[in-house]
Amino acid sequence: MDIISAFNYPVYLAIFICIYGCLAIGLNVQWGFAGLFNAGIAGFFAVGAYTTSILTSSDLPDRLGGFDLPVPVGILGAMILSGIVAWPVGKICLRFRGDYLAIVTIGFAEVVRLVVRSEHWLTGSTSGISNVPRPFGNLPYTQAQIAYLALTGGILFVAYLLIECQSVSPWGRIMRAIRDNEGAAAAMGKNIPFRRLQAFILGATLMGLGGALYAHLNRGVTPDAIDPMIASFLIWIMVILGGSGNNRGVLLGVMIVWIIWSASELMTDQLPTEIALQAKYGRIFLIGLMLQIVLRFRPEGLLPEPLSELRIRENKDSPPRDTVS
Amino acid sequence: MMFLDLANFYLIPGIVMGSIYAIGAIGITLVFSIMRHTNLAHGDMATFGAFSALALFSAIGISPYLVLPLATVIVGFLSIVIDWIFYEHLRNKPKILTTISSLGVGLMLRSVVQIIWGVNTTAYVTGINKPYKILGLKVKSTEIITLGVSAALVIILILFLNRNRWGKAMRAMSNSPDLALISGIDNRKVVALTWFVVGVLCCCAGFFLGINTELKSMMGWNILLPTIAAAILGGIGRIEGALVGGLIIGLIEEMSLMVIPAEYKAASSFVVLLLVLLLRPTGFFRSKII
Amino acid sequence: MTAILTIKDIRGGYTEADILNGISMEVSRGEIVAIVGPNGAGKSTVMKAVFGLLKIRGGSIDFLGTDITGWSPNHIVQAGICYVPQVENIFTEMTVQENLEMGAFLRRGDLSAAYDRIYGLFPDLVSKRQVVSGSLSGGQRQMLAMGRALMLDPKVLLLDEPTAGLSPKYMEQIFQISRNIRDTGVAILLVEQHAKQALAFSDRGYILVAGTNRHHGTGQDLLTDHSVAEMFLGG
Ligand SMILES: Nc1ncnc2c1ncn2[C@@H]1O[C@H](COP(=O)(O)OP(=O)(O)OP(=O)(O)O)[C@@H](O)[C@H]1O
Ligand SMILES: [Mg+2]
Repeated sequence: MDIISAFNYPVYLAIFICIYGCLAIGLNVQWGFAGLFNAGIAGFFAVGAYTTSILTSSDLPDRLGGFDLPVPVGILGAMILSGIVAWPVGKICLRFRGDYLAIVTIGFAEVVRLVVRSEHWLTGSTSGISNVPRPFGNLPYTQAQIAYLALTGGILFVAYLLIECQSVSPWGRIMRAIRDNEGAAAAMGKNIPFRRLQAFILGATLMGLGGALYAHLNRGVTPDAIDPMIASFLIWIMVILGGSGNNRGVLLGVMIVWIIWSASELMTDQLPTEIALQAKYGRIFLIGLMLQIVLRFRPEGLLPEPLSELRIRENKDSPPRDTVS
Repeated sequence: MMFLDLANFYLIPGIVMGSIYAIGAIGITLVFSIMRHTNLAHGDMATFGAFSALALFSAIGISPYLVLPLATVIVGFLSIVIDWIFYEHLRNKPKILTTISSLGVGLMLRSVVQIIWGVNTTAYVTGINKPYKILGLKVKSTEIITLGVSAALVIILILFLNRNRWGKAMRAMSNSPDLALISGIDNRKVVALTWFVVGVLCCCAGFFLGINTELKSMMGWNILLPTIAAAILGGIGRIEGALVGGLIIGLIEEMSLMVIPAEYKAASSFVVLLLVLLLRPTGFFRSKII
Repeated sequence: MTAILTIKDIRGGYTEADILNGISMEVSRGEIVAIVGPNGAGKSTVMKAVFGLLKIRGGSIDFLGTDITGWSPNHIVQAGICYVPQVENIFTEMTVQENLEMGAFLRRGDLSAAYDRIYGLFPDLVSKRQVVSGSLSGGQRQMLAMGRALMLDPKVLLLDEPTAGLSPKYMEQIFQISRNIRDTGVAILLVEQHAKQALAFSDRGYILVAGTNRHHGTGQDLLTDHSVAEMFLGG
């Protein structure tokens, strides 16, 4: 094993950390800043992954596209389409209490999954879409990985900076004001559903971006790549563990959770094949458990948002009695 | 004959599925009115119930119906324990955190089922269940039992809520938790009781889903959305609403097969849900809470 | 007369800030004690503190010789104190009779004697037994709320603004019923907006300002005390 290929595994991990970083920052905009519970992250991820795949793969007779467009166009298209599909979803649910958004986003992700599996002309159904171009894909493996890491790292960095600017801007302050005290913000004349919709759509575009980066990394996408619950869950834990509302915390959460998750995979790979199935689902059980542990012992996260007590504070004396507006 | 075909292919399966959704939706509505959050683990609790009945049946034998009461008690207590471990500490925090936690609990229950019973499809009893013919209508014995037991459950529950002291305490707490506390009603006991009732309902929903279709680890997750849609359609917080909502969703799902491909059957309840939220978010029976 | 409920120097609030800054009060058997004071003075907060709905940071509450500081509402009800909050004081989706039944939740067995007693105190409710209480009038609601709290035969009844929003006729009726209740041996501690009327009909009164009790005395004394009248009762 030469020096360079010793880097392969860490680089591979790091690429995924960058991709999950985009998804987690997207969720942080929705949950951390605006308090919106999106349980259908995988749906937006899939929209992003399939959009860029259709746009950039080479032409196939029995399928829409591919259009052979350049990768940046594909990624941009993925972000835009994810934002566009987020609009009706948000428009319908954001008037109600948070649970409704959770329910509808779960439904949305399920419908996306059905479309992905059934519409051969669009998504290639079970075989998915292949021959999606990969930036720097014709370099030797290790260099290609490192180059792709540089690309995703750069994109994540830009996304981080932009969202960080947003969050300290008046827009970010208003979002947090709405999240923490909806009544007072409404009394100040803020158009709450509209602001929430903005945050929801912005978050969705970042999730689409994550999906697109994933598709280009794998040179394609199949329905199995978007197991709805696991992807959504990992990201939830990353955000809550890291510290919802704090982008740096969220990125820390991404690193920790992804490293634990991958390490557990390395470990279960050592187990005999007879219990491979148990091992696989045992890991999934652990994700669920991890979420519970974080909610119980560290609900504000490792790097809490400054003043986040406002958010997780005890609200016994003023139970939320949200009503239809 | 046109009507008989309609009834045999769509109405009867629709009503049977509808009654399963109804039992589930009543559970959703109870959790929502008393604990004030949406229980996203509901479907997976039903799966767990269905598989525990399977385990009991293969241990004891005779008839799957015979082990159902035992399975419901198991799931009832499991719900109380789950609440106690995972939800209780979130009680005084924003309710959305409990909703998030319940999604995680669902994932955990599902993976437990997958670890213990695997991911393959099974059934309580193999072999063909020959339908009876009554006036040209084809009904299976499982379907008759499903309808009978569901109806009995609903009647018992309504009587319990309106006649029994603890049932009334559940309604009181749903109406005003603070005043219930002031009246000397032990909120924690009411919460535990509610979870037990919800567990029983969940287990029955899962069992009847299993007996009318098949058992698999995703079965409960797959009925979560139609079940919640039924509860919202009927008006959250309303037992009679959940009942009607369940039947309507069941019928719509089956009838949708006339116009859309079978792969999208699952999407029809989602469309109904969106329409309800758009047109009448309080549901048919004017939800008391939203 | 010896006090059955003694509140000694209690402090506390909803957040870190104290709303109650050392409040002391006494209620004896068979008397009506009024708490009056401006809006936001902490009147309702005192009631919540006594009833265990608010953690207090200092002082003590003694009931019939037992220290009940920090007890849960459940236990306080059992001990013999019942409370009618200012808002949300009936189960609007349950019938009148069911409301009363919930008031007696801690008591098992036959409730018919208790129902008879309550319907005797509040004859207006008799014809409404099976009516869903959300459809009652304001005065009837208030009566039901008091009836609910009396189902367990409490020794002390806490009433938070029982006459808020009621017409003078209903107010007089509620006061009269309160006297009848007192005459059965129940001590009543009530908060009132209508300070003058309340002091006139109570045995004693406390005037609460900014979380401390500034004045206390018999209702008549407070009404005739010039400085009190000028400052708090609008001359
Ligand atoms: N649930 C609560 N959480 C936080 N602060 C509260 C709460 N309830 C009351 N307060 C504050 O406590 C203070 C005292 O309130 P309280 O309700 O005791 O006043 P009050 O004397 O009963 O007034 P009113 O005559 O208007 O009923 C007020 O400043 C109020 O803002
Ligand atoms: Mg008050």
